[in-house]
Amino acid sequence: MKKRFWTRQAWTIAKIELRRAFFSKRAFWVYGLALFPALIFFGHGIEVKLRRDRLAARGLTSQALLDSTTKGESAADVRRRLGAPARESQYESRRRVRAKGEATGITTHIIEPAEARFVRLNITRPSYSGEPTARIYEFEVYGTDSASNLALNRMATGSSPCSSDQGPEKAFNGSIAGGRSDSWCTHEYDRFLQVDLGAAHKLRRFVVKHASAGGEREEADTREFNIQVSNDGKMFATLASSAGARFMDERTTNLFLTYFDGRREAQLQFADGKLVSRRITPVLNFEEDRQVFAGVFQFFYLRLAIFFGCLGIFMNLFRGEMLDKTLHFWLLVPARREVLLAGKYCAGLIAAAVIFAGGALLCFGLMIWPHDPIEVQAYWQSAGLAHAFWYTMAAVLGCVGYGSVFLAAGLFLRNPIIPAAVLLGWEGINGFLPEILQKLSVLYYLQSLCPVPAPTDKGAPALIQMLLAPAAPASRFWAIVGLLIVTGLVLCLASFAIRRMQITYGSDT
Amino acid sequence: MSAPAVVFDEVSKFYGEVLGVNRVTLHIPPGITSLVGPNGSGKTTLMNLMTGLIHPDRGSITMRGLSPRDPEHLMGITGYATQYDAAPRWATGFSFITTGLLLYGHSRAEAETKAWKALELLSLTDAAHRKVAAYSKGMRQRVRLAQAIAHEPELLVLDEPLNGLDPLVRAETIALFRSWAALGRHVILSSHVLQEVDVISDQVILIANGMIVAEGEIRNVREEIHEHPSQFIIRCRDASHIAALLFNEDHITEIKLNEDRMGMLVMTKDREQFSRALGRIAGEGHRIDSVIPADENVDALYEYLIGGSN
Repeated sequence: MKKRFWTRQAWTIAKIELRRAFFSKRAFWVYGLALFPALIFFGHGIEVKLRRDRLAARGLTSQALLDSTTKGESAADVRRRLGAPARESQYESRRRVRAKGEATGITTHIIEPAEARFVRLNITRPSYSGEPTARIYEFEVYGTDSASNLALNRMATGSSPCSSDQGPEKAFNGSIAGGRSDSWCTHEYDRFLQVDLGAAHKLRRFVVKHASAGGEREEADTREFNIQVSNDGKMFATLASSAGARFMDERTTNLFLTYFDGRREAQLQFADGKLVSRRITPVLNFEEDRQVFAGVFQFFYLRLAIFFGCLGIFMNLFRGEMLDKTLHFWLLVPARREVLLAGKYCAGLIAAAVIFAGGALLCFGLMIWPHDPIEVQAYWQSAGLAHAFWYTMAAVLGCVGYGSVFLAAGLFLRNPIIPAAVLLGWEGINGFLPEILQKLSVLYYLQSLCPVPAPTDKGAPALIQMLLAPAAPASRFWAIVGLLIVTGLVLCLASFAIRRMQITYGSDT
Repeated sequence: MSAPAVVFDEVSKFYGEVLGVNRVTLHIPPGITSLVGPNGSGKTTLMNLMTGLIHPDRGSITMRGLSPRDPEHLMGITGYATQYDAAPRWATGFSFITTGLLLYGHSRAEAETKAWKALELLSLTDAAHRKVAAYSKGMRQRVRLAQAIAHEPELLVLDEPLNGLDPLVRAETIALFRSWAALGRHVILSSHVLQEVDVISDQVILIANGMIVAEGEIRNVREEIHEHPSQFIIRCRDASHIAALLFNEDHITEIKLNEDRMGMLVMTKDREQFSRALGRIAGEGHRIDSVIPADENVDALYEYLIGGSN
């Protein structure tokens, strides 16, 4: 009898408080939190529908025809078979390439026979890339008989090398296969390499092996240099020079044709009229959208929207009345303080559950809305109803858990920022805590109620993965039971606080 | 069986380091009791302690046998019209009172009837369906009073209840308090207006700096103060002669003759001896028209005890 009376009292209090819970000016931003994801999905749906309409405006192409395109097929053939594309664009690209026929990395210079003992290679522009480093893998000098390299292993000098194992002698060792340490390299401004042949010879041909001959990139090849000879090592005459390889502009006409079969969009890329790539993607990917929804629900809706929404609604129930100086009206009614607590909690819970469960269902519906009706029906008959149910349950139980915490916090503390920050941090580090402490978390139980696991980036650091996806209990049953136990404990604490509560908003004493 | 009382037993309340009330011991019988004291003396603290809005740091309180820590039972028999001026933003006068009555367990129909009756008593029927937030200060005072009395409590605690009331409503309210007290109920009110306390109260509690200075019927409180002479106003024809006769008495400390020589103010240390002396003088043939105590009111008590006045 007494319990019925208390229940009736609590319900009366709840009915009175529902107005404050739903329409408190202090907490109107709660609606924004609840509806924000729905807005995003709505915008996505509108964008997809408009895109589909645009693509379908010029007619649909059959699925089989889309799949029949092959690389190398000409644009004219594709147009003839598939018809007018849904969309078309074209642009010309340009690429600088070396003139064909030039041996990569090796230049040969033939001169009128000249007698000389000293040969010098002067580098005026060290590379094509602009890098100020000159590199020569081998410098060969041939006489009129062209039989042997007169410079091989001869005494060599040059500009200061990049390192001790890249001295001038490396350009005359007869090898280019040993990597960078088998080449001469210099950063000096005055770049030169000189060899003493030992005696005067009649010289006919020079061969220079640049960076790419040694396996490096072509951009590192010597761009501009000259070759000089001398008999005394003092007076040099220039007999050959090079401005580097010739470059030419390679121009390509790129054509993009887009076709649409009602579900998939095919983007065909043609280079100079030939098909070089084909990308067929569904305009809408239901599986992907469900994954995105799961991620939005777990990372935004549970952790932020419901968390801060319950903060706004529940902390306002007592603290708001304290600020408005109207709390004493409640303490002067003939009701146990625990009944008052129960009534206010019910009011907050009803409001939060309606707002956030409604928001979650709305968002879920908007996620499904733009998809193919047949696909949606199949989903609904298989797992869709269960998914909708569990998302709703998770939202409601989130309100149950966070609501109790913030109601209690509003009784113990005046400033809501402190409990919010502490709880947010606690939920964040949940994955690192011992198992017994992990159970003192609302999110710990809510995560296992979500029907679709939230996508996580496997490449993310382990720390980030732990923060985003803390440990979860095994079964939904125990998750619900556990959450209700935690909620019960928190409400017991809150009833202790409300029994000790005093009005302290300061008036004449 | 003794009448149910409001009992404070060595009650102290501190707000941090600031004293609210200190070692208050009171026994308030049914009837109209006024709490009188200057601002900051502890009147509202006492009222809040009575109704459980705050809890004592020391001591105990019983309200007609119930504890303020048991609001379920105590608030069923108590109505408290506080000084706090705020009201729920959503509430009209009518819904403000009806809502409270629903929580008392009344049905909707009963609650509306009682609410309307209380509003009629406080002349608020015209404004009953307007938001309380839009009321004038006086109207908000009245609606708080209406809410406190709507469920006909046995214990009425009222913080400055007559503030802002026009004379007609004031008179009707005072009449209500009197009829309430006549039924054996408690009416505990605080006031700064000492004249009205004088007129309506059965007992007075004087409080200053968180301590009880005096409590009881005004007359009895006054009689406790022995070191201060009593004052009497005597109207008579032969004032000079009677004054000379009285001056012979040892207990007379001062006599002031009126300008019209038709009366005098007499101060005496001993009321009993004074009345015997008057009887003797009257018996000797001197005509005395009236003898009125000049200091059995709160003004005088206040001045004696607290040193302030309104």
